[in-house]
Amino acid sequence: MHALGRCEVARATLAAVTSRPDAPASFRSSSVRPGPLQLVRDGIAETLSRRRLIAYLVRADLKKKGTDTLLGNVWWVIDPLLQMLVYVILVSVILDRGGPGYPLFIFCAILPWKWFQATVGDGTAAVSSQERLIKQIQFPKLVLPVSAVVAGVVNFLFGLIPLFGLTILFYADHLSAWILLIPLVAVVQFVFSLAVAIALSSINVFYRDIGNLSRHLLRFWFYLSPALYSPALVADLAKKHHWIGTLFQLNPWTHFFGAYRDLIYNGKAPDFMALGVVLVGSVILLALAILLFKRVEPAFAKVL
Amino acid sequence: MSVTTTPGATTGAAIRVDDAGVRYSLKLTKKQTVRDSLVRRIRREGDLHFWALRNVSFEVPHGQSLGVIGPNGAGKSTLLQVLAGIITPSEGSVEVNGHISSLLTLGVGFDQDLSGVDNIRLAGAFMGLDHHVVEEQLEAIVDYAELGQFIDAPIKTYSSGMKARLGFAIATSVEPDILLLDEVLATGDAQFREKSKQRVKELLAQAKAIVLVTHDMNWVEEYCNRALLIEQGRVVADGSPAEVVEIHQAHSAQRRAAQLAAGVLAGAKPIPIPLAKR
Repeated sequence: MHALGRCEVARATLAAVTSRPDAPASFRSSSVRPGPLQLVRDGIAETLSRRRLIAYLVRADLKKKGTDTLLGNVWWVIDPLLQMLVYVILVSVILDRGGPGYPLFIFCAILPWKWFQATVGDGTAAVSSQERLIKQIQFPKLVLPVSAVVAGVVNFLFGLIPLFGLTILFYADHLSAWILLIPLVAVVQFVFSLAVAIALSSINVFYRDIGNLSRHLLRFWFYLSPALYSPALVADLAKKHHWIGTLFQLNPWTHFFGAYRDLIYNGKAPDFMALGVVLVGSVILLALAILLFKRVEPAFAKVL
Repeated sequence: MSVTTTPGATTGAAIRVDDAGVRYSLKLTKKQTVRDSLVRRIRREGDLHFWALRNVSFEVPHGQSLGVIGPNGAGKSTLLQVLAGIITPSEGSVEVNGHISSLLTLGVGFDQDLSGVDNIRLAGAFMGLDHHVVEEQLEAIVDYAELGQFIDAPIKTYSSGMKARLGFAIATSVEPDILLLDEVLATGDAQFREKSKQRVKELLAQAKAIVLVTHDMNWVEEYCNRALLIEQGRVVADGSPAEVVEIHQAHSAQRRAAQLAAGVLAGAKPIPIPLAKR
C-alpha cells in the first residue's frame, strides 16, 4: 500500500512537465540526397549542436580510464617516461649514439606521438563499439569519434607534466619562452588527428581489420619519421634519392616533430610556413573525412 | 541521414509512412574483413538483398495508440527503427511530426560504469534534450524509477527490473509527442507493469501518438485503439485490435500446425533400428 502511494506521487510529478512549443517535423526518404558540401556543413553543425553530449562522453571516458587501474591517471604521466627510457637505453647506451640531451630530444617526439597513437586507436573503435546504442537511438554519430579525440587531449595534457618536470630539472639550458607555443602546434595536430579518427572510425564499421592494420602502419610511420633521429641524418640519403626527400617533406609528422623539437629542445621559432601548410592540408583532410563519414552514416545501423 | 525539416506540419498525422521499404544488403551485414570481401569479389557472388520491410503504408494520428504485432523476424523492430530515424527507408518515405522518444530496448544510452544519475544525463544528451529540461526532470525520473539509494551506484550493479524502470522513466519523462516502445513492458515486475500501463494511458490522454511492438495480445486489445499485423515485412492486416489479433492468432495457429506437420515428418525419417534385430 505504501509503495503504491509513492508511485502516485511520482506519477503526479512526472506528468507535470514543461511543454515545449516547437514540434519538429521530419521527412525521411532515401530519394533526398544532399550534396557533398551540404553533408559537410550538416556534419559540422550537428557536432557543434551536441557539445554537451560530447562533454558527457568525454567525462565518462576519462572516468573509466582513470578509475579501473590501480594508479589511475598517474599512468598517463609514467607511460611516456617509460617509453623514453626504452629508447634511451637502446640508442644512447647500447648503440652509443644519441648525443647530448637525447632523452629530451626524443621526449619531444614521444609525447605528441603517444597522443596521436591513442587518438587513432580510440577513434577507430569509437563507432563500432557503440553498436547497441546506434541501433536504438537516432543521434549524430559524428559525436563518437569527436569525443574520443577530445578525450585524448586530456591524455596529452597529463603528458606535459613530465615534459616540464624533465626540462626544468635536467635541461634548464634548453628552456625558452618558445615552449609556450606548444598549444599552437597541438591545435594543428588536433585537426589532423580528428580527420584521421573520423575517417578510420567509419571505415572500421565495414572492415574490422582497420584496428590491426593501423597498429602496424603506425609503427612504420613512427620509425620512418624523424622521431628518434633528426632530419639531418637522412639528408645524404635524400640528396641521392630525391623521392625520399620528397616523402619526408610530405609526411606531416616531419613537421610536427620538427615544430615540437624547435619549441622544446632547440628553443627557437618553429617553421611557421610548414605548420601553416600542414594546417591547411589537415583542414581539407578533415572536410573529406566528414564527407566520407556522413556518406556512410545511414548504413551504420544496418551493418553493425 | 537525410532529414529535412519541413516548414510546419503538413498533415494532422503524427506519423505518415508512405510505401516504405527497408532493404538489407546481405553482403554488408555480414561482419567482414577485407579478406572476406576480396574472396567474395573473386568468386563473383552476386549482390544479395533482403527486404526487411516492403510496401508499408499507414498513418498514425495524434492520440492514437498503434499496436504492431506479428511473428518473430517479421520486421516489427525494423519498422520502429525506421520511425525513430535510426534507419532511412530504402524506398518510400516516412514523415514524422513531433518529438519522438524511443525506447526500443531497455537500457538506451546506458553506460554500465556510470551511476544512475549520470546515465539519465547521458541518455538525455543522446536524445538531444536541453540540459535544463533534464536537470528539471532528474528528481522525478529518480523517484519514478524507485532507485532510492542506488542512484549513485554504477548501473552494472542494477537488477534488470531496476534498469527497466529507469529506462521507461527516462523515455516517458521527456514528454514525447510520439512514443515508440519495443517489448519493454514485458520486463519488470507486476507492479512496474501496472505503473507503466498507467503512464501510457496518461500519455494517450494527452493526445500523444504511441507505437508499440509487443507479443502481449492482452496489451494490444486493452490499450491500443488500432493494430497492425506484419508478416515477412508486409502489412497483412490493419484495423481494430480485436480483429487483427484474431487474424494473427489464426495465422499463428496455421503456422504451428504446419510446423508440427513438418516436425512429425522430419521426426519420422530416421527410424532407429534396434540393435538386437541387426
